[in-house]
Amino acid sequence: MKTERFNKIWILLIPFFLLAALFLVIPMVLMITSSFTSETTGAFTFGNYHEIFTNPFYYQAFLNSGMISIFSSIVGLALAIIVSCALTNLPEKIQDKLTVYINVAANFAGVPLAFAFIILIGNSGALRLFFEGMNFPLLEGFNLYSWQGLALTYLYFQIPLGILFIYPSLKKIKKEWKEAAFILGASNWVYWRKIGLPNIMPSIAGTFVIMYANGMGTYETAYALTGSNVNLITIRIAALVSGDIYARPIIGSTLAVVFALIMIVILILSQTMLRRVRRDLA
Amino acid sequence: MKIKKRNISTYLILVIFGLYMIFPFISTALYATSTNWSNTLLPKDFTFQWFIELFQDPNFISAVTRSVTLTLITLAVVLVVMVPTVFIVYMYFPRVDNFLKGLVLMPYAIPAVILATGLLRMYSGSAIPMYAVLVGGLFVGSLPFIYQGVRNSLEGIHSRNLMQAAEMLGASKLQAFLKVIVPNIKLGLLITTLLIFSGFFGEFVLTNLLIGGRYETIRIYMMRRMNENGHLASAVMVAYFLLLIVISLVITRITSSKKGVSNSLFKRKQHKQEQVIPPLSLKQLEPAATSEVKSNNEKRRKL
Repeated sequence: MKTERFNKIWILLIPFFLLAALFLVIPMVLMITSSFTSETTGAFTFGNYHEIFTNPFYYQAFLNSGMISIFSSIVGLALAIIVSCALTNLPEKIQDKLTVYINVAANFAGVPLAFAFIILIGNSGALRLFFEGMNFPLLEGFNLYSWQGLALTYLYFQIPLGILFIYPSLKKIKKEWKEAAFILGASNWVYWRKIGLPNIMPSIAGTFVIMYANGMGTYETAYALTGSNVNLITIRIAALVSGDIYARPIIGSTLAVVFALIMIVILILSQTMLRRVRRDLA
Repeated sequence: MKIKKRNISTYLILVIFGLYMIFPFISTALYATSTNWSNTLLPKDFTFQWFIELFQDPNFISAVTRSVTLTLITLAVVLVVMVPTVFIVYMYFPRVDNFLKGLVLMPYAIPAVILATGLLRMYSGSAIPMYAVLVGGLFVGSLPFIYQGVRNSLEGIHSRNLMQAAEMLGASKLQAFLKVIVPNIKLGLLITTLLIFSGFFGEFVLTNLLIGGRYETIRIYMMRRMNENGHLASAVMVAYFLLLIVISLVITRITSSKKGVSNSLFKRKQHKQEQVIPPLSLKQLEPAATSEVKSNNEKRRKL
């Protein structure tokens, strides 16, 4: 009787699993199998992997994406921590409201963000021409349509993202701990090194990974800003699978598989690392 | 003295950060309201001409319509499928729930570009229309948000106890779900829905890669306009962000009034408990109280 009822409920889960299979699992499996098939004969081959690991054009793409992500997540994280600390000093009411707007800013990415930067410091941007007219070489040598521009724009959405994750964990640090440490004679520095940082370390590490993954996966901002001037992995894949002239979907799939593997390894590594940090804490 | 010093550095940091965050918004707004802004710090004139031009552009109107249609269809699929699924799994299949927790994180590991690659691999040239594939892809992309949103609300209202109570009182599972659980998580659902709405409305990667120019949504229209007429493109972005800000204002209003609502609900409950209708026991009956008992009986019947 009971099992029969459960069977009925089980039926209601079918739509979800059907959709997940159709639009997530099977396409991914198909992507993996097609990365092992030859472009010309359709036979099983490792040739595609051989090609992407020997062609500097492709591994450069991985390298570029990785470098920009690491830069934007390290700098972004540092700034996010500073701003979050400042936020916790504000009155409660303002804090609640600000976090909502930070959420909006974290979503201000892609085409609008790229365009806002182009208006100001692009080739004929207002600020650039203004400084040039004043003979003030602030933006000279800065090229928005290169990795420099990408780093600047990535920072713009990485900082709010970092705050969204760091800020709640900073709020968990109780004022009493600080007071207790100070009464026992700790300096500000000792307090942060021995009490503050170890407490927020897991969330800092977790946030770093999320920011890094976010940077690696960014496509829209880079595409809107540089087209395909900068050789990034997301742009490379998109051009290979949907480009009209140079479409090589199988190579695109192979790159996507390697890319996904890197992301999954990073996520798993961070999980195990976090667990170790937590065990050390306990 | 020390506190004051810290406050100054706090505000300094926040002001610099705030300026950095706000300056793209301002520059876009200035660009959208000027006819020509080239080599000055601020534009020289002010005009609404781009907005007027924009709202007269049939392409803009149809781009908005397309974005809204796509968003609403996908949102409907997400809500209809995911709310019961998360609920059932949370209530009855804890092991599936653990599996789902992992599955739902997959979109983090698989950026939209990879998902699009897989979807194109599977469906390009197939009988299934790309529009349906796009809805499916967006559905997958929204899984982390809807799962987390629904689950958090379910945990927040202690739905296991609620369901037990409802079933003990004779409600069927479906009745209990529709009449007890859903009304209670309505606010949480609304917030999640609004968040996902703004996400879908501004979607670019999947739409561009899967359908591209054949289905010009608001973001793709923005991108095309950006290369043609910058002032007009800024006007689109200003309109778009006004909408986003309205949505987030609604979210804050709901979240803050949610606290208010639950507080007042709580108060009302307490109020009722204070005014407990005295039990009908004959021992307590005193002649003078009979009318009171009668009225209490009526109250009880009404309840």
